[in-house]
Amino acid sequence: MNLRSWFLVPARLTIGLFFAAPLAIVCGYSLLTRGDYGGAERPWTLENYTRLADPLYAQILLRSIAMAAAATLLCLVLGFPLALFISRAGKRKNLYLQLVVLPFWTSFLVRTYAWLFLLRDTGLVNTLLARAGLIHHPLALLYNNGAVLLGLVYGYLPFMVLPLYAALEKIDPALLEAAADLGARPLTAVRRVIIPLSRPGIVAGSILVFIPCLGAYLTPDLMGGGKTVMIGNLVQNQFTTSRDWPFGSAASLILLAFTSLLLYVFLRRAEVR
Amino acid sequence: MKRFLSLYAALAFAFLHVPLLVLIAFSFNGGKFTVWEGFSLRWYQSILHDPQLVEATGNSIFIALASTVLSTSIGAFTAYGMWKRRAPVLQGSLYLSLVTPEIVTGISLLAFFQYIFRWLPFRLGLMTVVLAHVAFSVVYVTVVISARLTTMDRSLEEAALDLGASEWTAFRRITLPLLAPGIAAAALLALIVSFDDYVITSLVAGVDSETLPMVVYAMARRGANPVINAVSALIVVLFGVLIVISERVREA
Amino acid sequence: MIRRRAFVLSAAASASCAFDRRPRLNIYNWSSYIAADTIPNFERESGVRVRYGVYESNEEMLAKVMTGNSGWDIAFPTHNRIQPMAKNRLLASLDHALLPNLANLENRFQNPVWDPQLRYCIPYMWSATGIVYNRAIQPAPVGWSDLWSPRWNGRVTMLDDPEDVIGACLKKLRLPFDSIDPRELEAAKQAAIEQKRQIRAYLNAEARDQLVSGDVLAAQLWSTTSQQAMDASKALAFVYPFEGYPLYADNAVILRESTRQKLAHQFLNYLLRPEVAAAIVRTSETATCNGRAKVRQTPTLYPPPDILARGEWPAVLPASAQRLSDRIWTEIKSS
Repeated sequence: MNLRSWFLVPARLTIGLFFAAPLAIVCGYSLLTRGDYGGAERPWTLENYTRLADPLYAQILLRSIAMAAAATLLCLVLGFPLALFISRAGKRKNLYLQLVVLPFWTSFLVRTYAWLFLLRDTGLVNTLLARAGLIHHPLALLYNNGAVLLGLVYGYLPFMVLPLYAALEKIDPALLEAAADLGARPLTAVRRVIIPLSRPGIVAGSILVFIPCLGAYLTPDLMGGGKTVMIGNLVQNQFTTSRDWPFGSAASLILLAFTSLLLYVFLRRAEVR
Repeated sequence: MKRFLSLYAALAFAFLHVPLLVLIAFSFNGGKFTVWEGFSLRWYQSILHDPQLVEATGNSIFIALASTVLSTSIGAFTAYGMWKRRAPVLQGSLYLSLVTPEIVTGISLLAFFQYIFRWLPFRLGLMTVVLAHVAFSVVYVTVVISARLTTMDRSLEEAALDLGASEWTAFRRITLPLLAPGIAAAALLALIVSFDDYVITSLVAGVDSETLPMVVYAMARRGANPVINAVSALIVVLFGVLIVISERVREA
Repeated sequence: MIRRRAFVLSAAASASCAFDRRPRLNIYNWSSYIAADTIPNFERESGVRVRYGVYESNEEMLAKVMTGNSGWDIAFPTHNRIQPMAKNRLLASLDHALLPNLANLENRFQNPVWDPQLRYCIPYMWSATGIVYNRAIQPAPVGWSDLWSPRWNGRVTMLDDPEDVIGACLKKLRLPFDSIDPRELEAAKQAAIEQKRQIRAYLNAEARDQLVSGDVLAAQLWSTTSQQAMDASKALAFVYPFEGYPLYADNAVILRESTRQKLAHQFLNYLLRPEVAAAIVRTSETATCNGRAKVRQTPTLYPPPDILARGEWPAVLPASAQRLSDRIWTEIKSS
């Protein structure tokens, strides 16, 4: 074995032992029967998968996809100008990048609670609006799909901004000047020059946002007030309140298969272009 | 155009930071609930008097550092190895580990550890948490360093090899220094991911391995808690200062 | 590389135990369920080093201890998990000779339904689920059905827990709280879906702050959390629904895997001291099962016998009913 093969040995060991082997156990679980209080027992069965054919679960999956897609799109639309600004910021680039990441050093839960605090009936937003005389009754800002979406966008915006920035930073400013010289207006330059050139960043950012949003369960619980179920909640419930590890395993394997397929198709299409 | 972008960026930064600023402001609130009752430092004092919080912070720092060192080394070797020659199976499984929902990673690791610990004289604890963190952060490190490698010129290392350097020397003396910024960024990411993780950690933790996010989670699920605000404020300020210092160093 | 990893691992393994030669006791409890000085005082008087860990749900604890090599000595499962745990041979039988303070337990916890001889467990804390509401809205609620009323204007929350929500629906329909009859459960589901349109959210402990601030006017909530909200706001009151309501008790158990049974008994006996129990109640603001502890008695935390008589101790659902209940819960949530 030559040296370059040795470079991959630690990763092979880590992934083999701490990802593949555990995943194999989950595959095993998905074919077993639930134990009385968690865990899995014999006999072997396919029932956990047939149970998933229920249209109720398909509907939940579709709803989760719609939500994750909306969050990804919003992150892209909101993150793109920010990434563009940072990539044009000269010496301050690094500082601005760090500012994007700074809130993420605090716990996810803490950040979410901060939003609850702002958006409640007696929260800061409603209080300020009422003081300004703009509203007479507090607006229902929390516990709806919009709040879930806000939570997801807030939670994953940096995952979009960082790769976008990495891609935008490589674009030669001379290209934009050339476009301007040729009479392109700024927005046209963005549309015709910058966006096509930043495609790799858009692809990477979209993946990094879409995938965790699809599996999210805390945000729908906290910001949505537990009034919606996303696929992540379904999986989570099986391992907690419902104590049905085999069904939870089956559901998560299906989710995993689906996500990988989506990722594969997406990457393929991105490559072809 | 430029003015529009600056204005937009200011708004975006406000969006990212206002919730935390409000939180920090309320860490100085005298009352326990979310109604302003006057300035007070009592929540900061109670951090110091909470041995659990102090110990959990210690654990979190140890776990984050240990897993960052391990995962960054493994990830750097992996990215380099995959740059030298294709390893589709490894790459595929790395990406798969990235798309696995946290809860599934956590449960599968718990099941795995419990399975092998039937024969091994180990228990869930700090060690299993570190291993779990390494397992889920290797892929982040690999992706970031790989991105850096794709912009690198292969001919530099080839030149070194032509001049008689061994493969190891070429890696150590040529490629590694060029990779340094990428490795630093990757290590930072690994550190954040490890420091923030709750779901996987709580599942593989055992005796002696309570982390800060676990304590914060336990407090937060019982409703708004000013002690958490104080802890968060300290974390934000600490990292804010670190950022400013590193910027100064960079400029100097 | 390998050497470094071995080093980190061994350092991790030995970090905490290498420097401390005192005997150890590992205690796994719900979060916020102990006073700040409970453990230090015990360590001081017994010369034991205690490792204390917390969990957020029975399932989290069970996932860890069910293989029988978790390293924990003592845990605090809810009453309806005691029998399943005993059946799976996870619990050590208690030696009452080492627990003279058992006499301090309140009478009704001397022989509880879930473990009449206290063979495996010692009741620790208990609570109930009822309704906490804002007095400004009249008439005040008296039963679960009042949570379906339009008078709250949508400012009602229910617990984010299938057992409690479906149970409340069953009770509203005058059916048993832990029914497993599919038709009864179907009726409960309809009631829950009807209610979902007019409630604000499914919240657990988070409801407390929102009740205090006035965002929420009525909530299905645990008696202990409600008491905390009432302490913070005079406008709030609590009622035990007339249709019946669930009672829960968390119990101290010694795990069978424990190699320190004597020490574990010593700790349990220590917990049963009136002054220790009272100190814990003062911090955690819960209701203790200790009858001799001098604690604040409120009708919310310690309801009078006639109200207690309406309470039920829910059993854990059998597998098939659990599955049905999970499907119903999913349907309610995605309706």
